Amino acid sequence: MYYSYSAVIHRLRFMASKPHHLLPLPNSAATTVAAKRARTMATDSSSSSSSSSPIKDAFTKYTQYLNTLNEKRERVVKASRDITINSKKVIFQVHRISKHNREEVLEKAEKDLKAVTDQYISRLVKELHGTDFWKLRRAYSPGVQEYIEAATFCSFCKSGNLLTLDEINATLLSLSDPSLEPLQINVLDYLLGLADLTGELMRLAIGRISEGELEFAEKICRFVRDIYRELTLLVPHMDDSYDMKTKMDTMLQSVMKIENACFSVHVRGSEYIPLLGSSDPSSFLLGVPDIEL
Amino acid sequence: MRPAFRNAYFNLSLSLNPNPTKLTLPPFSLHAFPTFSTSLQPTFRTFRLTTETFRPTRTCCSYSPMADGEAHAPPTSFPSLEKQFEVFRVQLEDSGSLRERIRAVVMEIESTTRLIHANLLLVHQSRPTPELLEKAKAQVGVLKELYNRLAVVLSECPGQYYRYHGDWRSETQTVVSLLAFMHWLETGTLLMHSEAEEMLGLNNSEFVLDIEDYLVGICFMSNELPRYVVNQVTAGDYDCPRKVLKFLTDLHAAFRMLNLRNDFLRKKFDGMKYDLRRVEEVYYDVKIRGLAVTGDAIGERGIEGQS
Repeated sequence: MYYSYSAVIHRLRFMASKPHHLLPLPNSAATTVAAKRARTMATDSSSSSSSSSPIKDAFTKYTQYLNTLNEKRERVVKASRDITINSKKVIFQVHRISKHNREEVLEKAEKDLKAVTDQYISRLVKELHGTDFWKLRRAYSPGVQEYIEAATFCSFCKSGNLLTLDEINATLLSLSDPSLEPLQINVLDYLLGLADLTGELMRLAIGRISEGELEFAEKICRFVRDIYRELTLLVPHMDDSYDMKTKMDTMLQSVMKIENACFSVHVRGSEYIPLLGSSDPSSFLLGVPDIEL
Repeated sequence: MRPAFRNAYFNLSLSLNPNPTKLTLPPFSLHAFPTFSTSLQPTFRTFRLTTETFRPTRTCCSYSPMADGEAHAPPTSFPSLEKQFEVFRVQLEDSGSLRERIRAVVMEIESTTRLIHANLLLVHQSRPTPELLEKAKAQVGVLKELYNRLAVVLSECPGQYYRYHGDWRSETQTVVSLLAFMHWLETGTLLMHSEAEEMLGLNNSEFVLDIEDYLVGICFMSNELPRYVVNQVTAGDYDCPRKVLKFLTDLHAAFRMLNLRNDFLRKKFDGMKYDLRRVEEVYYDVKIRGLAVTGDAIGERGIEGQS
C-alpha cells in the first residue's frame, strides 16, 4: 500500500518535469538538478536516509534513464498499435478486390498504405535511433510485421511479385532525417510479416476461386508455395525461431487449403467441361461467376 | 478457416453447376474470344502442374497419374523472391556464426563467474575476508579480458548490441552481483554503475553495461546478504546486522525511487523486501538479547577483517 502510494508520488514528480534524454553515462548539468529533486523526494518518501548519499545521486540517474526509456517504449508501442490497426484496414481493402473493380480497389489500398507510412511509420522512425532498433524491437515488431504484410499483399495483387525488403526500406528512407541513421526494417520482422502474408493470400485465393478467377488463384498458390519453401530453409537460422516455427505450421495449413481448393475446382471443373465447352470452351474459366448471377 | 473453405467449396459446386440457360457472357469476353480455342488446354495443363508438383502424397496425387513434362519447370516463377531469400540466408548464417562466437565467450565468462562465486561463498564459513577478496580479484582481471573480447566481437556489428543482448544478459547480471558483493565486503558501500563498468573495462567502449542488468545484479547481491548476516552473527560478529541493515535500507529506499515496469527487475526488487525483513529479524534477535554493540564507532570502516 505504502509502496504504491509513494510510487505514485514519484511518478507525478517525474511526469511534471520534462524527461531529459540521458545516456547511460551522463555527467551533465541535468544530473545535479535532478539530484536536488531527489534530495527533497528522499525526505518525504523514505524515513531513514542520509539525504546526500551517493546511492541516491546515482539512483536519480538510473531513474531518469528508466523513465526516458519506458516513456519511449510506451510511445513506440502506441505507434506500433496504430500501424497494426491501419495496416489491417489496408489488407481488408485489398480483399475487396474482384475482377471488375481491381484497379480502383488497389488504388485505394495503395493510397491507404501510403497514409500508414506517412502518418504512423514516420512516428516510429522519429522515435527510434541507434541501438533502439534492436533494444525496442519487441515493442514495435508486431506493427512492423503487419505493415510488411499489408505492403507485400498490396504489391502482390498489383504486380504479381514479391515486394522485397530493400524496396520497403527504400520507401522509409525519405521519412527520416538524413543526418541520422535511418530506420530500416530488419530481416526477422520482414520474414515474420511474410509468414503472415500467406494467411491473407489463402483467403484471397479462396475468394478468387469462388469468383472463378482460377488463374489468379493458381498464381497465388505457386507464390505461397515458393514462400513456404524458401522459408523452410531460413527458419533454423532465425534469431528466435520459436515464433517462426508456429507460423510455419499455420503457413503449411494455408498452402494446403489453397491446394485443396484448386484441387476441387480441377476435379469438378473437368466434369463439367463438355457441357459448357461444346459451344464455348473457354467459358468454364471465364463464365463461372456469371452462372451465379 | 474450415467454414470459409467449405463456403468456397459450396460456392464452387454451386457455380459449376451447369445451367447454360442462365449463362451470360462476361464483360470482357470479347477479349477472350479470339483465344478461347487454344486457351483451354494450356490452362489446364499448368493448373494440373501446380497442384501436383509439391507434396504429391498429401493431397492431389489421387486424381492425376499423368504428370507431364512441365513438372520440371524452374523451381520458382518469382525470381526476385528467390534471389532475396538467398541473400537473407547468407545474412542469417552470418549472424548465426557471430552468435556462436558470442556464446563461446559468454561460456568462459560464466565459468569464471562460477570460480569467483565459489570463492566468495567461503565468506559464509568465516574465512578471513581480505584473503578471499584477494583471490576473487585475481579472477576479475580475467573477466575484464573476456568482456573485452566480447566487445571486440560485437564491434563487428555496430548498433546491434541489443540484438544479441540476451546471450550475455543473465551472465552479466551475475557478474554484477558478485562484483557488487565484493565491493561491499571491501568498502561497505554500493558499487555504482560506472564503477562496475570500470571494473569490467567497459567505460570507454560501445559495449556498455546495460543499466537494467546492473540493477538486477544489485538485487541479486541483496539476496546474498541475509545469509551473510546470519553466518556472521553465528561466528560472533554482533555488529554486522546493524551495518547490513543500514546498507540494505538505503538500497531499498534508493530502488523505490525507480519507476519500474512489470518486468524482471520489478520482480527482483519486490524480492528485496524479504531480504530486508530477514536482516531486520536477525538484528532484532541480536539486539533484544543485548548482544549488539551500541554506538556507531565500529561500523564506520566497513566490515573488513572479521572472523
